[in-house]
Amino acid sequence: MSWVVAGVNILIFPGMFFLLVLGLAGQFVDRKLYARLQSRVGPPWFQPVADFFKLLGKESVIPEEADRRMFVMAPVFALAAVVAAYLYIPLWSTKPIFSFYGDLVVVLYLLLIPTLTFFLGGWYSRSIFSTLGAVRSITQLFAYEIPLLIALLSPALLADTWSISGMTAYYQAHPWYWLFNLIGLGVALVTLLGKLERVPFDAPEAETEIVAGSFTEYSGRHLAFFRMAIDAEAIVSSSLVAAVFLPFGLGLPLWLGIIVYLAKLAGILFVLALLRTVFARLRMDQMINFCWRYVAPIAFLQVIIDLVLKEFL
Amino acid sequence: MDVQAISAELQTRFSLPEGALKVQRATRLWVDVDMAGFPALFDHIVKGMGFNILCTITGLDLGADLGYIYHLAHDCGIMVNVKTRSPKGSTVKSVTPYFPCADLYERELVDLLGAHVDGLGPGPRYPLPEDWPVDEHPLLKDWTPKGATPAGDAPAAGAPAATPAQPASPPPAAPAEKGSTPA
Amino acid sequence: MSDIDRVVTVPIGPQHPALKEPESFMVDLRGEKIDAVRIRFGYNHRGIEKGCETRSYTQDLYLVERVCGICSFSHSTAFIHAVEEIAGLEVPVRAKYIRTIIGELERIHSHLLWLGVAGHEIGFDTLLMYTWRDREQVMILLARLTGNRVNYGINTYGGVRRDIAPDMMPEILKVVDSLEERTKHYIELAMREQTLIQRLSGVGKLSKEDALFLGTVGPTARASGVDRDARRDDPYLAYPDLEFKVVIDDHCDVYGRTIVRLGELMQTYSILRQLIKKIPDGPITVKAPRRIPEGEAVSRYEAPRGEDVHYVRGNGTEKPERVKVRAPTLANTASVGKMLEDGYLADLPIVVAAIDPCFSCTDRMVGVRESGTESRGAGRKTMTWEEVSRYGVEWHKARGLDFSSLGIPGGIEA
Repeated sequence: MSWVVAGVNILIFPGMFFLLVLGLAGQFVDRKLYARLQSRVGPPWFQPVADFFKLLGKESVIPEEADRRMFVMAPVFALAAVVAAYLYIPLWSTKPIFSFYGDLVVVLYLLLIPTLTFFLGGWYSRSIFSTLGAVRSITQLFAYEIPLLIALLSPALLADTWSISGMTAYYQAHPWYWLFNLIGLGVALVTLLGKLERVPFDAPEAETEIVAGSFTEYSGRHLAFFRMAIDAEAIVSSSLVAAVFLPFGLGLPLWLGIIVYLAKLAGILFVLALLRTVFARLRMDQMINFCWRYVAPIAFLQVIIDLVLKEFL
Repeated sequence: MDVQAISAELQTRFSLPEGALKVQRATRLWVDVDMAGFPALFDHIVKGMGFNILCTITGLDLGADLGYIYHLAHDCGIMVNVKTRSPKGSTVKSVTPYFPCADLYERELVDLLGAHVDGLGPGPRYPLPEDWPVDEHPLLKDWTPKGATPAGDAPAAGAPAATPAQPASPPPAAPAEKGSTPA
Repeated sequence: MSDIDRVVTVPIGPQHPALKEPESFMVDLRGEKIDAVRIRFGYNHRGIEKGCETRSYTQDLYLVERVCGICSFSHSTAFIHAVEEIAGLEVPVRAKYIRTIIGELERIHSHLLWLGVAGHEIGFDTLLMYTWRDREQVMILLARLTGNRVNYGINTYGGVRRDIAPDMMPEILKVVDSLEERTKHYIELAMREQTLIQRLSGVGKLSKEDALFLGTVGPTARASGVDRDARRDDPYLAYPDLEFKVVIDDHCDVYGRTIVRLGELMQTYSILRQLIKKIPDGPITVKAPRRIPEGEAVSRYEAPRGEDVHYVRGNGTEKPERVKVRAPTLANTASVGKMLEDGYLADLPIVVAAIDPCFSCTDRMVGVRESGTESRGAGRKTMTWEEVSRYGVEWHKARGLDFSSLGIPGGIEA
């Protein structure tokens, strides 16, 4: 692979630029669905773009007490981490841009970084609402991350590989095996709500209690990049879920492959929007209780199913 | 319960003077009592007769005196309004031991009428701001707003220049400003 | 956190997204638990009582209506009852019925508004959107009956200013039917939706003893088993002729307060049906004197939030000697501290919202100025309600938002 091709792949297609466009489109889809489900009209298609550029043009206020370096770097780290994670995820073929044995674990760690930056950004803002939001972010992380990890690892157990592209190749060879992992898919979708801090797991940015949580002190372009990172994170984690749990239609011609990929994404975004429409926000203690009492055991059930299947298949 | 019966009971028990009791209608009774007789009467109405709702306390500026009306209600719907008065500057006893919710009503008397209430615990002012002068009581009849400009007048010349003057813009435009006519 | 025992003070207010009105709650937190709350009110003191003393009774009527945006009719009616009692005015029966109809419609819009706000406070925005969409029906109806969505201005000494035309009666019933259907849906939702129940039950506990001791009023008190309702206990307007049940509940928490308000909505629909069936013909107003004689009166009115008390003292002139207003929220504030004891920070917004603190509403403009003309004179035109409604729909449509597709019942299809 020549450097030019690699550069184009990383920066433009199917890398960063494509991801950011998808992120904004995903935000629009989410907002529009959310609005329609609530019997509202919803925003026009260009609203996320307009919001992004409007925020870029606004003044960026950095609180005097904040740690300036951490405050400014947090959104950049968040965005960089999700873009890096995207490069390892197979989208419409079994081959992502980069791949090596064990990249599944690396992608999971890269997807952890945004949450850590929410914590650091909030913590170093030094405002009371940001600090509370930061602490809630990190507390919530311990509740959803383990079930999510287990849910994503169990299909890997069945495929006997730690590489995402290896997994997709395995499921490509055994077309209907992905149906064994439907429980894991459910767990992953629920925990994704926690990762993306959406209702019912949006306590870290519950506006009626702690204003905007970690992002209370953020404004202007710093906020714009944080928002962009969250939108991109939604796409990357949905793509990961699609690659791991919905590994079909990967050997198609490029244009058809892209359409299948986008359809999968749209389906996942629809479920996420639906879930956040029908629930009320859980309190921190209820959220942790829920994740450990119900979600984690179900995720373990998936592991057991996959281990047993592996013996027999 | 019957309002006439309540009236008669209060009359005999506290031997109130002629005209101190007034039955306005089937659910309204007004009782006039002097400050000395007030605590016993109030205690009897609340504890003895079961008027356990304090609707509010009204303070009145009666010239030399401050008037207080305690609006007490019973679950059956009858309301007894106990009126008492004391010279300005004298102290009234707080009714918070009977009704904790009287706290805000009494703070209102203190802030707005300059009443002295004995037995009111510490707490923030209500409803005036913390930096309001302690000897200014807006509900007194001789109190007028100080330093306020009459409504509609421009601020006096020489007003602090720190506040930028409002540009003389037309009132908020009606939605038709873009030239589109209503459908 | 190593210093989990450290107490952190979080300022909720005077400006905070959870509060629709300035109040201040300084919350001491130990982890996520509330250690102590210090409450400060009075940021909205506008001197209305003093203002009333310097204005005529007619002006006061409109001033008092602006004490609150949501229960404006409650305040103006409580005030007018006191004045009418001093003046010895006997209001015609039809006027009493019209006042009751408006009062009960106001209760519907207030309770639906509360349900939406409660949903928002617990992060259930879908409930907010749905209830407020439904509430729009009653707002439109009120605008058609009185000319205004809030601050109806329908009361006048000795009666009401507008009659309800006979062809409006079926319209009211239509809205009542439609809202009854929706309310049943919300009751089912409150009974079955798990996250809602989890967030509401056991939160903001207030025992019956505490509710009585702290002088709690309205739905907040009735949810703690206190059987009090001024409409039944001290009847006024048309309530003596009506049959209704005072809804009480013994959950003693925010969930109970939700159940009570939903139950009251169902009662209100039945009350409105009875009113429309029984409303007699006749005059809607009697002549009232400009000078109100010397005397005093106090009136109680069951506003949506609880009992509203007005005291008026007349001195024989056209201005009152003293006006005293006790809004229901003031009576309920004492119980908020009690409800927050040992609660979570996450529950503070809903506990505070559950007493339904009063907040202001916006006002609308109906006079339309055509571009290039003076604000008065030839260019000025008046629009009918239908025209205004259609104009609003068109205006948004031209900007890419098509509301007509939502199909709000009672709204104007463009």
